[in-house]
Amino acid sequence: MAYYPALSLQQSFSSSGSRTSGAPDTRAWRRNQNTIRHRFGVNLGPVSNAVIIAIMLCLLGLIYLTQVTRSSTFGYQINDLQQKQQALLSKQADLEVENARLQSLEHVQQTDVAKAMTSPSEVNYIQ
Amino acid sequence: MKLPFHISRPRLLILLVVAAGIVFIGRLFDLQIIQHGYYDAKATEEHLAKFIIPASRGLIYAKDGTSNGVVPLVLNEPAYTVYADPRYVQDVGKTADMLRQIAGGELVGNIETSLGDKQHEYVVLARQISSDQQKLLKNAHLPGVGFQELQRRVYPEGNLGAQLLGYVDADGDGQYGIEQTLNDQLAGKPGMLKAITDVNGIPLSIDQHNVETPAQNGKNLVLTIDRNIQTYAETALKNGLDKVQAKHGSILVMDPNTGAVLAMANLPTYDPSQYFNVTDYSVFSNAVVSDPYEAGSVIKSLTMAAGLNEGVVKPSTTYNNTGSVTVDGVAIHNAVSALGTRTMTEVFKYSLNTGAVYVLQQLGGGSMNRQARDKLFSYFSGRYMFGKPTGIEQTPESPGVIIGPEDAQGNNVRYANMSFGQGLDTTMIQVASAFSAAVNGGIYYQPHLVDGVLDANNTLTGQTQPHIVESEVIKPSASSDLRAMLHDARTESFPGADKPGYFIGGKTGTSQTIDPKTGQYSDTNAIGTYLGFGGNGNAAPRYVIMVRIMDAKVTGYAGSVAVEPVFADMSNWMLDYLKIQP
Repeated sequence: MAYYPALSLQQSFSSSGSRTSGAPDTRAWRRNQNTIRHRFGVNLGPVSNAVIIAIMLCLLGLIYLTQVTRSSTFGYQINDLQQKQQALLSKQADLEVENARLQSLEHVQQTDVAKAMTSPSEVNYIQ
Repeated sequence: MKLPFHISRPRLLILLVVAAGIVFIGRLFDLQIIQHGYYDAKATEEHLAKFIIPASRGLIYAKDGTSNGVVPLVLNEPAYTVYADPRYVQDVGKTADMLRQIAGGELVGNIETSLGDKQHEYVVLARQISSDQQKLLKNAHLPGVGFQELQRRVYPEGNLGAQLLGYVDADGDGQYGIEQTLNDQLAGKPGMLKAITDVNGIPLSIDQHNVETPAQNGKNLVLTIDRNIQTYAETALKNGLDKVQAKHGSILVMDPNTGAVLAMANLPTYDPSQYFNVTDYSVFSNAVVSDPYEAGSVIKSLTMAAGLNEGVVKPSTTYNNTGSVTVDGVAIHNAVSALGTRTMTEVFKYSLNTGAVYVLQQLGGGSMNRQARDKLFSYFSGRYMFGKPTGIEQTPESPGVIIGPEDAQGNNVRYANMSFGQGLDTTMIQVASAFSAAVNGGIYYQPHLVDGVLDANNTLTGQTQPHIVESEVIKPSASSDLRAMLHDARTESFPGADKPGYFIGGKTGTSQTIDPKTGQYSDTNAIGTYLGFGGNGNAAPRYVIMVRIMDAKVTGYAGSVAVEPVFADMSNWMLDYLKIQP
């Protein structure tokens, strides 16, 4: 196996290799190196770059606004839940009041069961 | 004008534009960089709204001796104020009709006028409407009409204990009774939410400027009052007043071994949920603690306790009752003559003023003098705590009036009168607390109404321990003698009044009042009082009851004829309620 020592750029320019024309070729070629140079067909000018940057900025802004809006919607959800909680607490308070009224002595005394009760004539204690 | 140097117009224009740009940039730099903090704060202030999170006012409970639980006396329920912005009201007639139909009883003023008043942005249409009414109005979708939620106190037991509870005014401040005295504990502390809001004022949840301080709700208090005892006491008092055609009376039931008040009531009373309809403001005060008066002969029991404790008299000690005694030239008479040799127990039985003066004289070594006055004052002021508030959780509380022996008014005649309850002003709570100490073995407990706090788990915490104000008011032996004397006197004076087999004692009092026209004591408006205890055997009694009726229309002594039956009714009921065995 042939051995091709790694060359520095300076060294590659100074070494001699196979040549395809009579003009001096300063490039040095290695076996597995692509010798065809490709060029892009589209060149971006300064205006295009500015537009792309502007679009990217807009996208970033949009993403930012989306995030901010999402966090804001949590506020609405929380507000909605708090209103529901408040309504339930109000309902609970109403029911507690109604429960207390139904158990009040004044109410109990007016029930048919209470009206049918009589006082004991005598109280005896078992010793 | 020609410039001193040559410059073309386009270039001049460019220079001007550049200069203007520099000015703008400089100004923007100043506003956005240099003054950034100031304008940032202004902007935040504009969007940052403060919301007060109201604290829920603490509830008030009474005890229920039958279940050993607690029952609510004061609760909160949501109520709403209905308001309108007349500029947005579309149909005044329809809106008014709907309001009248749903909340007719709570409307404020002429609502057609209010709704048509386009000069104002906020008019109140109705106050204190219920949740159900609010829902109906909300569903009616009345343009320009809004609701403001608030809390109002509700009283499931109606007027029960109204004066000891007090009420909460429209500003949310407690007035009178427990509500005023413990307003700080009951009110709690409102919280606050500072948040960035949207245009509708709805807080946005996530922002570095949001600050939330949660509200601290008020404490839920449990009183020493027993709902059943309180109810029966109020009923017994009302029945007693009706029988003697009286309108003003008070009743107090205490546990003499702790100072806990079990019931406390006055008539006439009021509905605390309708306090704003009261025209006679005197009904707001709890007369048991705020209305000092000359308690009359019930004070003889305390004078006797002093004599027994000092060893100057015994139950069997006798004196010669001549029907009157002269002190510094002023004759003091008995209501009942009962002439002859009388024991100290008979002093109670016949309510002999001369007997009380005799005890006072014995405190002075056998005569009325400064020593006697000093000794009685030391008991009344230093041991029975007359002349100073008891500290019970009630507002207002009167300290009463007791004249010292060094005062020019504190002469022998006054002190002779004081020995049987005239010439000093005391409140019922003062007298009942002192009497409790005299019959419980000699320990003065501070009377109190609050037993503890009900926590979030409905567990009673922080229970009030009995606070001993004076541990040696009188000796236990003197206390035992006093109980026996009061029991014997009652048994002989009111045979058959009490259930057999129990140890009930007490003393009547019928005090004259000063006629404002003559400035002299008058018999026409006597105040009747009964002060007694009950229990099983001659041991520390289970309860002390004090009853007062102000304007009984009876012949005879109000204390015996009008008031004692109320005591007996209450006492006999207490024996069964507390399941005291004979």
